[in-house]
Amino acid sequence: MSVMRLGYVHARVTDLADAKQHYGETLGLRAVHEEPGKVYFKGWDEYDHHSVVVEEGGVGLVKLGYKVSELTDLELYEKRAQQFGCITERMSAGDNLEVGDGVRVVLPSSHVVELYHEMTTVGTDVGSHNPEVFPRHLVGVGVPRVDHALLTTSDVATTERFFKDVLDFYPTERVATTLDDDAHVIGTWLTAGNTVHDIAFIEGPDNKLHHFAFELGDWNEIGRAGAIFSMDDVSVDVGPTQHGITRGRTIYFFDPSGNRNEVFAGGYVAFPDRPCVTWTVDQIGKGIFYVSRELNERFTSVLT
Amino acid sequence: MASVTVDPDGITVQARDGECILSALNRSGYGYRTGCRRGGCALCKADLVSGEVSYPVVVADSVLPAEEQAGGACLTCRAVPHGDVVIRLRDDRLRCTSSFLAALAGRVTPAVERNI
Repeated sequence: MSVMRLGYVHARVTDLADAKQHYGETLGLRAVHEEPGKVYFKGWDEYDHHSVVVEEGGVGLVKLGYKVSELTDLELYEKRAQQFGCITERMSAGDNLEVGDGVRVVLPSSHVVELYHEMTTVGTDVGSHNPEVFPRHLVGVGVPRVDHALLTTSDVATTERFFKDVLDFYPTERVATTLDDDAHVIGTWLTAGNTVHDIAFIEGPDNKLHHFAFELGDWNEIGRAGAIFSMDDVSVDVGPTQHGITRGRTIYFFDPSGNRNEVFAGGYVAFPDRPCVTWTVDQIGKGIFYVSRELNERFTSVLT
Repeated sequence: MASVTVDPDGITVQARDGECILSALNRSGYGYRTGCRRGGCALCKADLVSGEVSYPVVVADSVLPAEEQAGGACLTCRAVPHGDVVIRLRDDRLRCTSSFLAALAGRVTPAVERNI
């Protein structure tokens, strides 16, 4: 029993056609379903029906979906979330397109997370029988999958405790005021499995999105993504650069509505028994942007 | 073409037809504190002192509520001037970020105006 991964990101956009151009043509996600006001996308190496939903009207995050490995996990996590003091709600199959029964939880940070066990399988773009290593005709950046999200919360410690105690995540890295046990934690990077993070939180207003990220393979792919962003006049925030935290190689950029996205490559493999890394606040510049060691003003102020 | 004047320093640049205020400033070698440049974060929010702007690209109501807009707030990254406009920055000053672009745009920028 466990949470397996970030399964879907549901975000608001101000203009659906612009969003379709960005997520479809620039990032290379495939639009798998369209209905009035919404487009559903998947990456080429994802086998579930969709991983990104964009909904017209506003900006920011609607919700995140995390997929659990067993159906019985839903009941367990629902009970634990209630014991933690969170508001929960049952979702029925079909409440979300192609998604089975689930539990909706309002986090201590006011973000909405949906836990689910089933989503219609459509297969990766290379299939699962003697597959090629990548599809021949990728569009734009050609991102294979959604990787993680970074959100802001007014209470990092409580939000971290929720993910540890309720959902069995563990932190791989933290930013704290000091190295003492009673230090004030201002950032936490958490995983449910072996990726370096499935979700992260930094201190800030509740219910805000910092970014959601797509996986890439290596530095070369990050550099190529940067070239595509230039071709398509994407608003780039920072990068290519490397994070000290997670060691990931990165470009931060914005979708046409101003939601921050990231392409992320090469975080290390995490294990529950690996000692959690602590960064002290005085080194946060190096932790976030390892090369320049300077935290730009946008990192903490640009949220949707 | 419309002129865009930015207070408190009274620096004026020219905006092309259909060009948003921030693009006109950047193309003319000027900049100030901005964020996503796509209308999502409100970091570029300034006050429209005079003139009219429109938003050809939809901006979220949560970022620029109608009442704020009615009170003169504008997002320079998405606001397109209709005729000459004057805006006032909030807690920031316009900086000359590229003397090359400023020269190209026909502005010679004395050091006292740079506010670096």
